[in-house]
Amino acid sequence: MNLRQEFTKGLVAENPVLRLALGLCPSLAVSSSVENALGMGISVVFVLTMSNLIISLMRNIIPAKIRIPIYIVIIATFVTIVEMIMAAYQPALFRALGIFVPLIVVNCIILGRAEAFASKNSIWPAIIDAWGMGVGFTFALVMIATVREILGNGTWLNMPVAPAGFEPVLLMMLAPGAFITMGLILAMFNWSDDAKAKKLKDAVIKRAGFITEQPKTERSN
Amino acid sequence: MDWGNLFVIAVGAILINNFVLMRFLGICPYIGVSKSLSSAIGMGMAVIFVMTIASLFSWIVYVYLLDPATNFWGVDLTFLRTISFILVIAGLVQFVEMVIQKLAPSLYQALGIYLPLITTNCAVLGVAVLNIDENYSLVESLVNGIAAGIGFTLALVLMAGIRERLDLADVPKALQGVPIAFIMAGLMAIAFLGFSGLSVG
Amino acid sequence: MDPSLIGAIASIGGLGLLLGGGLAYASRVFYVKVDPRIEEVDEALPGANCGACGQAGCRQMAVQVVGGELTGADCPVASSDVVARVAEIMGGVAGAAVDMVAIVRCQGSPDKCPDRFEYSGFQTCTGGDKIGHGHKACDWGCLGFGECVAACPFDAMVMGADRLPKVMDENCTGCGKCVEACPRDIMHLIPRNAPVYLACMNINKTKKVQEVCDIGCIGCGRCANKKATPSGMVSMNKETNLPVFDYSYDDEPVVAVDVCPTDSLVDKKAGRRPIWHIDPTMCNGTGECAKICPVKKCITETDGGKYVIDPEKCISCGWCEPVCPTKAISPIQVNAIRKVG
Repeated sequence: MNLRQEFTKGLVAENPVLRLALGLCPSLAVSSSVENALGMGISVVFVLTMSNLIISLMRNIIPAKIRIPIYIVIIATFVTIVEMIMAAYQPALFRALGIFVPLIVVNCIILGRAEAFASKNSIWPAIIDAWGMGVGFTFALVMIATVREILGNGTWLNMPVAPAGFEPVLLMMLAPGAFITMGLILAMFNWSDDAKAKKLKDAVIKRAGFITEQPKTERSN
Repeated sequence: MDWGNLFVIAVGAILINNFVLMRFLGICPYIGVSKSLSSAIGMGMAVIFVMTIASLFSWIVYVYLLDPATNFWGVDLTFLRTISFILVIAGLVQFVEMVIQKLAPSLYQALGIYLPLITTNCAVLGVAVLNIDENYSLVESLVNGIAAGIGFTLALVLMAGIRERLDLADVPKALQGVPIAFIMAGLMAIAFLGFSGLSVG
Repeated sequence: MDPSLIGAIASIGGLGLLLGGGLAYASRVFYVKVDPRIEEVDEALPGANCGACGQAGCRQMAVQVVGGELTGADCPVASSDVVARVAEIMGGVAGAAVDMVAIVRCQGSPDKCPDRFEYSGFQTCTGGDKIGHGHKACDWGCLGFGECVAACPFDAMVMGADRLPKVMDENCTGCGKCVEACPRDIMHLIPRNAPVYLACMNINKTKKVQEVCDIGCIGCGRCANKKATPSGMVSMNKETNLPVFDYSYDDEPVVAVDVCPTDSLVDKKAGRRPIWHIDPTMCNGTGECAKICPVKKCITETDGGKYVIDPEKCISCGWCEPVCPTKAISPIQVNAIRKVG
């Protein structure tokens, strides 16, 4: 697999949120506005890249038995760095994301990629994988946030986009809106998967040559 | 001791700011383990237990090791909060798991198998961080931990009950599984929104 | 030195030592003996304990994998390496790596096994099964709502127009999801190279079966008769009144299929079997083949004292080949000659 494929697989084919259902908590919690979603996405890209980089560098000296605690400590370190930087330079965003900044530590995506990818690959593929997964995560977040912000507030990235007379649906900004939007987006992805699978299946059925008749036991008497 | 205050914290954590439905903490196990009622109950009990332990020990670590006003060396180490909390929680849970597995195998079967799932559950780290953010005392932290666990269990068991029934229903193919679970969680969240009008204390 | 640096090192270092030491100690004191494979699979799994597999953490998933319930592929986080590693650990056990394939153990399409009543509840098998033992005349029959088809993760199943699911062998991985999905225990896994299986689950005998289904097994036991399967591959289960196939035998029980009066047995190689042919130049006319042939008037003596096999009647059992003293009998792959019905 070349580097380009490592990157693109995280966007759609193995999108962490939409396909693998990982990192659901932050993707629901911080998707009430596109701005928050972008902030969270960038933080995750940073932590993911740095932790993948360090783990990939250290992959040959980390003992297998205690690898998970080591990964967690490495990840927690970078999360703390993000926390401090964000508190210093983006205090408004830091307050908006609140508890979900420290909680990046327990985001399955990061630990999952460390274990599944960075611990077995050299530095460049590990970094590219982190970018792909991080951007995929950001993409999913922004997608959910777009739906919620436009319907719930009539804006996109704080710019008014709704037509005049649009009544914002407050529910979309609250918790239920997050759950329902997420459910519908996942369903949409499933639906497109099914449509593709059906095409494939039709081809197989055609080739195998049976549609209605059970291949019956042949008898001679 | 201010019992009224503790009651407010408890009701707040169970109903008004339900961890799953209002704060979006612990969504992964909420969707993953809610397929059957029995495992949902086991998971819920384990979460209550771990949240209590996590609240207790993270509070001790924060106050005696990290907070400059109260710790042994009088310097500000609050930046180590995330890293030390996750260490303490992960270590303790693993310890407790080993002890239960040895001393009470039947309890381990019912509850212990869910413990490792919880160490990296954001709801547990979340409750520890929230206790500090809200400046809770030790007792308040404990009450908040237990109540948050009960709130999680409530949401999880309700969800599992619905999903067991949903097995019989004819759900459109694209919505089957996780998507319909999310939409139901959304409907439950609407119901829980009703509690936000509740004024206690 | 900056006091906050010392404090930081002391705090985290102390915590780490305390917890690490405590855990190392506890792991000895509270050691519990478990299947070593659980340990190995657990180590191979990502260990993130994210719960996305629906299990209570990686450890529990490892228990399920060793128990044969799940495979490494059920972990959404696992890379292909992890899946391969888990398969390797599990494959190291004798008999655990037989290539299986799903089969449908019912042939009761509506024309063979009519409906008892019109069912208009939940259009799912689980739902239908709960109402009056299902709408099919046969209590064991396939309800035809296709829960197995929906459960198949590999698109290896389709629902036929005869309201029976079909398995496409080439896509089936033997994962067993359909077996779990079926509320009536109709889906089963058999070895991929198994030649014949019984497509019926009705445990009743003769009349009770014939009343509800034209193609159900009536438990007559002819297929298990020594005359039909001398190898002993097929035996009757006295409790279920159904024949049982022991696939550890290297036998092709085509005669059993032939003697079945209800067509309940399915020959997976039907239409792809060779038929046998006697070379007239080598036949010495002893007639051993005609004595052993299980089909009436299949091998007959010609006017010239030689024997011939009627290709229309040959059921491809091949029993005649080894008994011929002059080795005049050999199989020929002639699909074109095989007739249908």
